[in-house]
Amino acid sequence: MLDILQAVSDGVLFGATYALIGIGFTLVFGVMHKLNLSYAAASVGSAYAGLLVLEVMAGAPAWLVFLCAFAAGGALGYAVYLTCFHFIPLRSPLATLMATVGMLLLIDEVIVHATNGMPQAYPAIFDDVMLRAGAFTLRGDLLLVFGVAVLCMIALMVLLYRTRLGLATRAVSQQSVAAQLCGIRVGQVNAMTFVITGLLGGIAGALIGASVGALSPLLTTPLTVKGLIVTVIGGLGSIPGAIVAGLLVGGFENVLQHFRGVTERDLYVMLLLFAFLVFRPDGLFATKGGRD
Amino acid sequence: MKKLALAVALAFAAGGALAQEKTIKIAGFGAKSGVVRSFGVNSEAAMLAAAEVINKQGGVKLADGSKAKIAVEFLDDRCNAEEGISVIRRIAGTDALVAIGPTCSNVAEPLFGILQKKVDNKGDSGLQFPVFTDVAIKVGLAKISEWAFRNVPNEMTMYNSVFYWLHQKYPDLKTVYGGVEEDFAHSRATWHLVMKDRAKASGFAVAGESKWLLADTNFATQVREMKKANADIVAISAHPFTTCGVLKEMQRQGVKPKLLVGLTSSSSLETLQGCAKQAQGMIIPSSFAPVNKEAKFAAEQTAKKKGAADLHSMAAWENMFILKQVMESEKIAGTRASVQADRRKIRDGLAKLNTTQGLLGVSKRDAEGEADKPYLFVQAKGNDWVVLHNPL
Amino acid sequence: MDFYFGLAQLVGVHTLLGLSAYIVLLTGQVSLAQAGFFAVGAYTAGMLTVLAGWHLVPALGVSALVSAATACAVGFPALRIKGLMLVVATLAFGEGVRLFFFNFDYQIAKGEVKVGPLGGEGFRQIRFFPEHGWSTLEVMLFIWCFVLLVMALLWWIDRSRYGAALRAVGEDELAAQAVGLNLTAIKVSAMTLGGGIAGIGGGLYAHYTTHIEHSSFNILVATFALAYPIVGGLQSVFGTVVAVIFVQAFLIEGLRDLGDWRNLLFGALIVLAMNLRPRGFLDARTLASLKRVFGGGPRA
Repeated sequence: MLDILQAVSDGVLFGATYALIGIGFTLVFGVMHKLNLSYAAASVGSAYAGLLVLEVMAGAPAWLVFLCAFAAGGALGYAVYLTCFHFIPLRSPLATLMATVGMLLLIDEVIVHATNGMPQAYPAIFDDVMLRAGAFTLRGDLLLVFGVAVLCMIALMVLLYRTRLGLATRAVSQQSVAAQLCGIRVGQVNAMTFVITGLLGGIAGALIGASVGALSPLLTTPLTVKGLIVTVIGGLGSIPGAIVAGLLVGGFENVLQHFRGVTERDLYVMLLLFAFLVFRPDGLFATKGGRD
Repeated sequence: MKKLALAVALAFAAGGALAQEKTIKIAGFGAKSGVVRSFGVNSEAAMLAAAEVINKQGGVKLADGSKAKIAVEFLDDRCNAEEGISVIRRIAGTDALVAIGPTCSNVAEPLFGILQKKVDNKGDSGLQFPVFTDVAIKVGLAKISEWAFRNVPNEMTMYNSVFYWLHQKYPDLKTVYGGVEEDFAHSRATWHLVMKDRAKASGFAVAGESKWLLADTNFATQVREMKKANADIVAISAHPFTTCGVLKEMQRQGVKPKLLVGLTSSSSLETLQGCAKQAQGMIIPSSFAPVNKEAKFAAEQTAKKKGAADLHSMAAWENMFILKQVMESEKIAGTRASVQADRRKIRDGLAKLNTTQGLLGVSKRDAEGEADKPYLFVQAKGNDWVVLHNPL
Repeated sequence: MDFYFGLAQLVGVHTLLGLSAYIVLLTGQVSLAQAGFFAVGAYTAGMLTVLAGWHLVPALGVSALVSAATACAVGFPALRIKGLMLVVATLAFGEGVRLFFFNFDYQIAKGEVKVGPLGGEGFRQIRFFPEHGWSTLEVMLFIWCFVLLVMALLWWIDRSRYGAALRAVGEDELAAQAVGLNLTAIKVSAMTLGGGIAGIGGGLYAHYTTHIEHSSFNILVATFALAYPIVGGLQSVFGTVVAVIFVQAFLIEGLRDLGDWRNLLFGALIVLAMNLRPRGFLDARTLASLKRVFGGGPRA
């Protein structure tokens, strides 16, 4: 019994990293109703950019690396907006989708060229902290990731519901033509959304790097898939939904691994996901209105 | 007008000069993009460095007694089966006589499949082109085609020797626990077909195994199983990224086996760059270490071409010298008209070899086209792999 | 020359993969399951020729049927969802198929060696072409027979009532339903047809590479299946062919001589292409002007 409990908690806790990535996916989707497949790659890319600090200043503290990743995330977010969304007409959603795929491949390859594809050690925080209760343990660094995910959610909620920018963002997401008629600069709002999700991605990438302990381009594809899964399970555009879904996916993954072994784990995760989507197409916390 | 005439004349003169100096093209191919990029970069550097050394010594002696220089061209296959096939067809379409590569076993396997299976079988329209692999290491691949040869370490022999030695040296160690990256051709085969058997053969009991996937990041469950088994030795058959992930999780959960054994491919800089602290003491059999003058020289020359010397890239270096020797003993003509005949001669020459001279000593070659290379055991110490023991 | 024939084989196989996504995209369904159908076709055809000793042509027929049946089975539940939900659901299905083959062992002894799919080790020695002494040219012609057949079929569909119905559903489901089109029949039939095409493509792919394993059918392959029709344009089947040639012959093989730059350019040029031609290479206007040039002067 303890084994199962431990497997669940391990998984749920690791799900915090999925949640963090999922928030960004869901935000872009909620505002622009478009998919940004390069998001996870950009997050990992900004985490790599954080490592540049160590190049310039050997032995720099971890928080400086994180700060640099955060800033790089914002810059990359804007770059993705410019290359994949700004110039492509709204009426061609498939074109933006493919452009972000191209961007994903590009970011991956830039990372590979900069590092020869070798895994890079990432500065850890709270790595050695383990909460113990008898044989039962919880990883301190993952608790931190979870905490940050919740903080990000609160910050985003405040931003969306308490500021003028948030009001504009929500207006654009509900009816972009009407918003434009009201004098909102839709382009600018969209660009801001990308910068904000980019900043978030920077934090997410850095924290994932810290909790995994190393960065590798191998991370991008699984994170992209997890981000997508979390977005749809949580309900499109729902930020709390993304967090809950992230934890759920992590938990399910580990439980299935516990019972069925690693080779069948993902098979069952995928089949469950398929069934879930078919029977509950709106996700756990769908926003009202159900636009598509 | 005059200028143009002069340029044309110069071009002809240059062409003439080139024509006088014969060259023999050896193609290299492997992964230079994606997570395995470092392998391709290192192999290319080693091949270029070896070609330079051979050319400085005069080059390759041809059938008519003249000498030819070696030219190396390296192509990227992205570790992708389709691209590997396109690349080898492209190489076969040029005047290259032989190819060295690929990096990935999942490229080597389909690639060897499109080669002719048995020489002189008229009914088999497979490609007739010799391939001499340096890196792709999954067991038992060269037998797919008689045109395929490999100079990769024999993991069967090496791990046999590792476990035998460990058993002799540490008689109080009884159990081995395996960790395996289950979805990658090489690591998977090495644990299930090699390490597990060899450990048992040397008198160890296998206490269990944990599996994970190439891109996994959460190893809590697997390490917990490992902890429960409480084995004396933990053998990890995985590539550097997940090897590091598992080692870090082991540290977190306080799993401290008395010894760590790793996968051949992990004895590169990658592991130490990812997790030098956690990998301390890991023992890996390797077919290369800069232990003698020749090996040091090869490593230096490769470093000049911006590549690292490891068990994989140094196989590419050795292959160049073996090919030079084969080309000379088989008396290739090295002309444009003799390309296909020369390829056949090189194949036959490679098939005839019983032994080859490598950087660490003599390798035996078998009828399937595989090598049995000399090896030694290296161990992670500080930021380097140091030689722990030379069993030969 | 063999190199170009080999490349043409690859272009043919990928064209089939792209066309399988093309017909599904016409109905507005973005499906990432095509790599899964491709895998089903590859394993079916490979097992029939290697284990059962069939000729390739009937084996391809069966693999098309099996893949089509799989696709049909996905088509019904997929009706319930659209947009991003469908993308992720089909992705889940495609990955599910891949992971099924990752766990799939079925080997029989043939002479002294065992042949057949072996889980993560893959399925090796699918050597129908070389064993029957087919030259690269012959294999290329064989593959392109199927490609041209499928293209002709899709071209004809595009001009039929059925094709108009497909596009109507893709443009606006509600309106299509309002004029009395049967959404279920149209969407599921498009998915089934796409599955069948992917099945043939997969069967040819297995024999092209001689060795398949689960990772040959990953998300990247599924993404490229979608990329071909999108990059090429959904106006005509020729768009997909143009896009496959752009990706396989230009971006991958044509730029090979650029060495390291090739990989960086790969993603960048896809981004650029989408910015410059958001409706694909062959959009309605380009097609119209092409028609003017090749159709013997302006007729309208």
